[in-house]
Amino acid sequence: MSIVSQLATILLNGLQQGAIYVLVAIGLSIILGTLKFVNFAHGALYLIGTYLGLLITLTIRVSDGKLAEWGFGQVGLGWGFLPALIIVPIIVFGVGLLMERFVARPFYDRPDTDQILLTFGLAIVVQEAFKILFGGQSYNFARPARTSLGPLELQLSGPISLPVVGTIGIWRLYVIAITAVLVALVYLLIEYTDFGLVVRAGTRDAEMVRLLGVKITRPYLMVFGVGAALAGIAGVVGGTLYAVNPNIGMDVLVPSFLVVVIGGVGSIRGAVVGGILIGLTLSSLVAVAPQWSQVGIYVLAAIILLTRPQGLLGSEEVAP
Amino acid sequence: MNDETAEQPTGDGGSVVESGRVSMWERVGDSERSVVALTAIVVAIFPWLFVRAPVISDLLQGYQSLASLILIWGIFALGFNLLLGYTGLLSFGHAAFWGGAAYAAGIFSASVSGSPILMVLFGTLFAVLLAWILGFVSLRRGGIYFSILTLAFGQMAYYLALSPLQGLTNGENGFTDVTVGNLFGFLDAFAAFESIPLNTPVPLLGDWLYIFVGAITVLCVAAVVRILHSPYGLVFKAIRENEQRASFVGLNVWRYKLMAFILSGAFAGVAGSLFVVHGSYVPVESLYWTTSGEIVIMTVLGGVGSMVGPMVGAGVYLYVENVVSANSAIQPYWHLILGLVFVAVIALFPEGIWGIVGRLRDMISTPSPDTEQEGDN
Amino acid sequence: MANDGTGQTRRDVVKMTGAAGVAGIAGLTGCLSDGGGGGGGGNNGDYPALGNFPVQGDKVTFGFNVPQSGPYASEGKDELRAYKLAVKHLNNGGGWVDNWEDLSGDGILDKQVDYVTGDTGTDSDQARKQASRMISRDNVMMISGGSSSAVAIAVQGLCQQKKVMFMACLTHSNDTTGKDCERYGFREMFNAYMTGQALAPVVTKEYGKDLKFYQLYADYSWGKTQQASMKQFFEKEGWTQVNSVATPLGTKDYNSYLSEAANSGADALFLNHYGLDGANSLKGAIQAGLDQNMEIVMPLYNRPMAQAAGGAIEGIYGTVAWDSQIDNEPSNSFTKFFGQEYNGRVPSGPAQLAYAQTLQYAAAAERAGTFYPPEVIKQLEGHEYSNLGMEQETMRKCDHQAQRAVPVVKGLPKSEQKSGKYFEIVQITSRDKLGYECGQGPAAECDLGPYK
Repeated sequence: MSIVSQLATILLNGLQQGAIYVLVAIGLSIILGTLKFVNFAHGALYLIGTYLGLLITLTIRVSDGKLAEWGFGQVGLGWGFLPALIIVPIIVFGVGLLMERFVARPFYDRPDTDQILLTFGLAIVVQEAFKILFGGQSYNFARPARTSLGPLELQLSGPISLPVVGTIGIWRLYVIAITAVLVALVYLLIEYTDFGLVVRAGTRDAEMVRLLGVKITRPYLMVFGVGAALAGIAGVVGGTLYAVNPNIGMDVLVPSFLVVVIGGVGSIRGAVVGGILIGLTLSSLVAVAPQWSQVGIYVLAAIILLTRPQGLLGSEEVAP
Repeated sequence: MNDETAEQPTGDGGSVVESGRVSMWERVGDSERSVVALTAIVVAIFPWLFVRAPVISDLLQGYQSLASLILIWGIFALGFNLLLGYTGLLSFGHAAFWGGAAYAAGIFSASVSGSPILMVLFGTLFAVLLAWILGFVSLRRGGIYFSILTLAFGQMAYYLALSPLQGLTNGENGFTDVTVGNLFGFLDAFAAFESIPLNTPVPLLGDWLYIFVGAITVLCVAAVVRILHSPYGLVFKAIRENEQRASFVGLNVWRYKLMAFILSGAFAGVAGSLFVVHGSYVPVESLYWTTSGEIVIMTVLGGVGSMVGPMVGAGVYLYVENVVSANSAIQPYWHLILGLVFVAVIALFPEGIWGIVGRLRDMISTPSPDTEQEGDN
Repeated sequence: MANDGTGQTRRDVVKMTGAAGVAGIAGLTGCLSDGGGGGGGGNNGDYPALGNFPVQGDKVTFGFNVPQSGPYASEGKDELRAYKLAVKHLNNGGGWVDNWEDLSGDGILDKQVDYVTGDTGTDSDQARKQASRMISRDNVMMISGGSSSAVAIAVQGLCQQKKVMFMACLTHSNDTTGKDCERYGFREMFNAYMTGQALAPVVTKEYGKDLKFYQLYADYSWGKTQQASMKQFFEKEGWTQVNSVATPLGTKDYNSYLSEAANSGADALFLNHYGLDGANSLKGAIQAGLDQNMEIVMPLYNRPMAQAAGGAIEGIYGTVAWDSQIDNEPSNSFTKFFGQEYNGRVPSGPAQLAYAQTLQYAAAAERAGTFYPPEVIKQLEGHEYSNLGMEQETMRKCDHQAQRAVPVVKGLPKSEQKSGKYFEIVQITSRDKLGYECGQGPAAECDLGPYK
């Protein structure tokens, strides 16, 4: 295997691993940047997205947990993957709205620690609820080989042979593509709409925006909804890559926080750069020193913090 | 601890706190010794009530090793509250100090000495060093970032122990080579006692392990009382009340925060080392974020900001985890119930169990201006 | 050592006096009914108090410490079903109890069997807390459980300290009866070393000689020993190792590792992962299409893993603890009465282990004529038996590792999988072709601790 193809493989792997973190981190980052709200339950949104995606895409056999006891041995719609990719973010968007209205809003004026504690408690509740319903075991979110939505038909599974890189699963290219499209959409939304203007201004100085008379409630609601929807999609995409169980929410949250810290709060570009950096760190350490691959991302975060506390693309003002 | 820089701001720190509280502190300052004495009495009676008393212990279904474990986690919670309750910093990475000290004490016992006292000293020293390093990095960013960063570095410690350092830690299987020796095995002064193994039975208290843990608990309570009544303690409270004002009056807030973090890491270290003396084994889960989450839950449930609250929280949590949840009807739901109760406490009763107890006590006794403040200590 | 259980608690005193009374009565009835066979049924008077011995009251309590939450919950619940069934049979007869001459079907040594359960959550810290409660408060004489080597090793160590018997259920690491072996622990399950020995001949016969293989292994003691034994035994059969890479535990995304493997030019890929890691790595390998150019081998299978991996296990070789399709008298009857008890449910491998280990302990206590742990241990050490459906077996004295046959299986395609049926049995490798001497392999590191 030549050096070039090795590097290409590392790059591709890094992009794909980083993609999930980017999707989760963008939501975390804009919520944190605009609303100054730390959401430890963001992983729970990912968890909800995964299970919803699983249930929409496939019909699964439940052998443990309350659902099985109540006689729902087989659950799920079996509609295929593309419908899941469209329906899940809509539902999780709604969950995000509810969360902003009933969880976050009453806590905007409470200390940061209370926000963290509340969302941490909420994350436990969601995780345990899924554990009770579906049991603690892992489910197999196998993508059907093909999926269709109306006239659109896509080949999802199977290996593909690429020049230089060699054989890889075709699905991983989709993961990168889906992420790229979503990131572009969110970027346009933030950069070129009035909604985005409020978000950007809010990130700079929320107090000033309020003083200027901008009614900020609705944009706040939107920010939370969009962030949640992204976590939901991340859940659907991530669910197909890794085993599905109630612990994945918290598993994905910690690296996503690192992405935010590395990239800089409130910056979409920062989240993308941070996610790719973490993905690349993981995939290159796997090739060089696999033992250190899990530790490496934390070392990376520590180094960046020591040299640039506000994150790579974070602005100085944001850092309290 | 009373160095020059700490002495100077005493007056300023006092002025930051409301005047009513200062007078209370002065009064309590006199009773510092009585707090310690009271702790000693409670610690001494606890195992009898919990394990051996007629009727009560049968109702409680308590047992000796849980009594020791409750004190150990109580020390952990005491130290955690020093950070959360008195400076307002919420750490999600204290597993690193608990587990780090546990590994340090365990490895020390296997390769240097199995003396419980030396194990605790070594484990605590290690935790202090670790807290200094992690605190230095995590406090680069204030407020909310602090929680995220401590969580991340706690997880880093877990992954370090799991893979790259498994030559030392024995990885996933946990450190199994712990050899705990006799209590005073290295001290000539206690020659008469030096062959006492920790499991030697003692009437009423249970065994020497409990006496050892209990003595350290009392020492820890004394230390915390001392810290809180020292200028440091007042500055910690000043920082919690209003960080900006504290820095305007010339305090180096960052340095005091780091100090609080290190102190709380030290107590976590004492507790983590005792945990190894207690169990002769270090599970790798002691470094996992769930351990950090547990101490957060215990402290908050018990009542942040009071000394008794977090220890009560630790006791209640461990009791429910080990005794109540053993009931197979409750077992599958207990984490969910815990989560719901936790959310309810945050939203509705921020002062926790101990605060509620205090309120009930106030309702029963005739209301007087003093009673309101008692719940605060 | 930390030992809380022997403090003079009020209950201990009650226990002592109670036991003395019971022993007296039991001794009397023993003389009357048994005619003093074997030195008197429940006569505990000959032995000093040790751990939770003597048994208080007219019941003997077992502790079943299994994962009831977390990734192995479904496996743990199946184990619990088997434990409950074992207790039922011990007290009232039925199942294997009717065929074991040591067992009466009327409790053990004239005492009815009771049990307490705990939830390990597959977390060694939590598992030890639960075991500690069972020992200190419930005065259990024996603990059984497992489903993770780390948990088994943690609890086994505690049992040795407290002088309570530990009958390991599912634990596959060499360390359980190697480096971390204990006098009070016994393992019926085979280990990683034996898996390598059992798989190599079958797999090399199927895929041909002179293949090159690539290994990924979970980076902890189980994964390391597993990969070492795979290397040793496959190279012995003429295969050559291209590379062997450690993957940190809890890795979610194996794609980076797998693409290294795919481009290595190897003909076969061994995934030495278990549980969640196994499900994740296997799924990743199938999705990346590795199975089209390489033969994949999964040394140790279990049911949750097969469930999580779904159709990905098709045609993939591995070993299992036991399977309901094994065709011999004990296995068939176990499948039958387990199904009768639980609405036609097919028992899993760990369920068979759980049931067998409980009966093994009971039979040893009956043979010893006492619950005094050192005597029970002596009855188990070197015990020869053939009543578990794994051919002729020996519980070896030097390391407490059962010398037994190992079932080699192949994953079924998704279409043929049914609830409880995921594998096809390829061969049951007899114990004559497996194992190692007492001074060799993992046993060389074993130092079983004291009897008392």
